[in-house]
Amino acid sequence: MITREEMENIANLSKLYLSEDDFEKMSKEMDGIINFVNQINTLNDQYNLENNSNSNADINKNVLREDEIVDSFPRNEILKNVDGGKDGFFYVKKFM
Amino acid sequence: MNYELVVGLETHVELLTKTKIFCSCKNSFGDEPNTNCCPVCIGLPGTLPKLNREVVNFAIKAGLALNCTINLNSRMDRKNYVYPDLSKAYQISQFYSPICTNGYLELSSGKKIRIHQIHMEEDAGKLVHKAGDVYVDYNRGGVPLLEIVTEPDISSSEEAREYIEKLQMIMRYIGVSDCKMQEGSMRCDVNVSIRPAGSRTFGTRTEIKNMNSVTFMTKAIDYEFKRHIAIIESGEKVVQQTLRYIEETNSTQSMRSKEDAQDYRYFPDPDLVNVSLEKSYVNRIQDELPELPESRFKKYTEVFGIPENDAMLIVKYKNVSDFFEQSSINLKNPKMISNFIIGQIFRNIETESDREKFDILTTPNQLNKLAILIEEGKLNMNLAKKTLTKMLETGKGIEEFVSESDMKGLSDEEIEKLCDDAIKSNESAVKDYLDGKEKALKAILGFVMRQTRGKGDPLKIEQKIIEKINCLFV
Repeated sequence: MITREEMENIANLSKLYLSEDDFEKMSKEMDGIINFVNQINTLNDQYNLENNSNSNADINKNVLREDEIVDSFPRNEILKNVDGGKDGFFYVKKFM
Repeated sequence: MNYELVVGLETHVELLTKTKIFCSCKNSFGDEPNTNCCPVCIGLPGTLPKLNREVVNFAIKAGLALNCTINLNSRMDRKNYVYPDLSKAYQISQFYSPICTNGYLELSSGKKIRIHQIHMEEDAGKLVHKAGDVYVDYNRGGVPLLEIVTEPDISSSEEAREYIEKLQMIMRYIGVSDCKMQEGSMRCDVNVSIRPAGSRTFGTRTEIKNMNSVTFMTKAIDYEFKRHIAIIESGEKVVQQTLRYIEETNSTQSMRSKEDAQDYRYFPDPDLVNVSLEKSYVNRIQDELPELPESRFKKYTEVFGIPENDAMLIVKYKNVSDFFEQSSINLKNPKMISNFIIGQIFRNIETESDREKFDILTTPNQLNKLAILIEEGKLNMNLAKKTLTKMLETGKGIEEFVSESDMKGLSDEEIEKLCDDAIKSNESAVKDYLDGKEKALKAILGFVMRQTRGKGDPLKIEQKIIEKINCLFV
């Protein structure tokens, strides 16, 4: 079970402000998620897998890029998802 | 009770690569906002970062210059945090296996400040606050950084200053960063704690973020030192937190309570593969490292006999030091060059940044020619200084100001004749000299120098005059 304190810390780090009801609801959901992911641990017993995290990275080493400039995207493309931004910037309303 | 200060520094330097760390956008300061951006560096989902080889090379160079172990296997990790300067909500950095560990930087006292690690990471975007709202420019997002982390070995604000200035010098010499604090290409986080003098345990630390001037950094350290002492003396406890330094009031202000490493939920970035280096690759970079400031300083003071303060002023700026190296080739006395640089050339270059650029109108080769003429006794110092001034003002070569006959210098016969004339024309001075007035000799010498318009070697001429006066009575 996830503790109240852990939930508060996670909410705080994620800049989420939860009501009492939210806390109850989300604690249950969080437990569900953790239990779901925990099933992976049982695979280890079943198939005797070695701890091989990021094994893909071990096989493909050194995928490097040369230091050569390629044209960037036009600014209107870059700002397209934020309604064109403001004065060439991404724009965020006062947040804290 | 006496307390001692314990400081550790985390210094970020922006690298002078052409492109960003994980995409091919231009790495450039001061461009129009969001013009050096692509889907990778604004963190759109589904994009794939690819590591810039030059960043790895620069990290190795920095590690070698700071006496680090270069780890042949390293990888990138994700550091999760939520803030608008980072659109992906994670920064790609190194946590579990950084590229360089266990180095040191030596201070002039001989004390070694240990380097815990150097890791590669991406810079975040730049936030501009206007009327309470936030405007974000991602040009800086994805600019390659090295974070250089010391052990808590620094025990005064002066040591912190020397560490930063030396680090700056080294990074500039090896060409990985221009380390301009005012432009943000070098920034420093300062961890401060105190403990009773002689104690081995550490107190609770506070971290002052983003110092962008050495002077303010030392002030902030001194302020925190006093603040910690006051808290502990009053029986309270120091709260671990992240602070901001307020220049106007010379004080610090809480930004947020400090996050623990576990709050960042570091994990290996699955989008990036491991960096695996061959020992021979690292060795090749080692062989290509330029001479470092420390070694130049030793050479200047111990071999060339340049006073320490002067040597430091030359070594401090890479361009000046390079200029010095080139213009002192084949000279018996390279100290002459440092005197010209400090006494004459620096007089018109006052700011640190201008000295750093050292954009002057004469070349090392020209200054070298001038110095050789002096060493050969063909040009005296006074005339040389005037000539150098003209060279610096006009950018014209030495030939423009010193004629061929001047460069040949005076023949021995010419000197003989000039001295004979001077003795004849200055009978009273000769008499005074013979009466024991040493100073009178200067009058005779001055007479000769006027005749030569300053081109003879005064020492040689003085010798000749004495010789001739002594001969009068043989």
